[in-house]
Amino acid sequence: MDYKYIEQLVERYFQCETTLQEEQILLNFFAQEEAEVPTELRQYQPIFAALEPKEKLSADFTDRILALTEGAPRVKARTVSLSERMRPLLRAAAIVAVILAFGQAIHFSTNHANQQADDINYANYKDTYDDPSMAYDQMEDALQLMREGFSQARQADSLVSVLTPSTDTTLVK
Amino acid sequence: MKEISFRADVLPLKDMLFRLALRITLNRAEAEDVVQETMIRVWNRREQWDKIDSIEAFTTSICRNLALDRQKRMDNQSLTLDTEEHDAPDTSVASNPERMAESSDRVELVKRLMDELPEKQRSCMQLRDIEGRSYKEIAQMMNINEQQVKVNIFRARQTIKQRFFETEKYGL
Repeated sequence: MDYKYIEQLVERYFQCETTLQEEQILLNFFAQEEAEVPTELRQYQPIFAALEPKEKLSADFTDRILALTEGAPRVKARTVSLSERMRPLLRAAAIVAVILAFGQAIHFSTNHANQQADDINYANYKDTYDDPSMAYDQMEDALQLMREGFSQARQADSLVSVLTPSTDTTLVK
Repeated sequence: MKEISFRADVLPLKDMLFRLALRITLNRAEAEDVVQETMIRVWNRREQWDKIDSIEAFTTSICRNLALDRQKRMDNQSLTLDTEEHDAPDTSVASNPERMAESSDRVELVKRLMDELPEKQRSCMQLRDIEGRSYKEIAQMMNINEQQVKVNIFRARQTIKQRFFETEKYGL
């Protein structure tokens, strides 16, 4: 068999003239059993055999890195579930609010009805005087008192309106 | 422009980032820490994703910078403990049971030679030969131009070839 091509490739490999494809051909060629390789090329075998990528990271490395980095999808899922997790709470709060509103409304309406019932209960009212003329005098006195009060207030009011311009002038001075 | 998803666009880069961080720090626990921090940083800047040309290049460059910081810090610590600098990469490879169990000693030797390369060459070669990225992608990831990427890969391959055959020949 003619190994000239391989020999040529080896030569060019050490001159840095081979392409990636040609280097792959060399690697494949030297990856076969030692006995299969012709004697004149066998000396190069260890060199190409050493170029096989063997070292690998431990199997749990990927999981470890994903836990340290793309823990992000988990965070993303958590933000989605957060609103979902809040939903039952909100629902419960809404129910409580509705019940309270209802209770308040019922409480208010029954109270209101009671008050109205009190207002129109004339049975509680009692007459204070037996003699109508006495009642009339009392009434007149009370009204007289009110009239005096009003007239006093009006007097004070008119006094203020009379005094105001003079105070203004003193201020100007 | 398509929308970037952390799960579909960033997370699948984890093993590639891990191998790059491991290639730089030469320590599994540190590399795993670096990838975790990278992922968190990229996630925290998710508002800027739509302004980024390539999320892959962006993520890888963060990862590389973090790994370089760790390595620097580790170097400072080991320098105060022991003065023999060259012991560090050897012990870390030897103390890695996964690697020790792997196939033949000669493959191990190549891996060790790769780990001994200068960081830029190491990272460029890692991204090209192990992760199968184009020069353009690597340039973006490493913040250098394509020509520099090519030069770094050229030097890395030449050094490995040369040292490997020397060791085979003289059993160094």
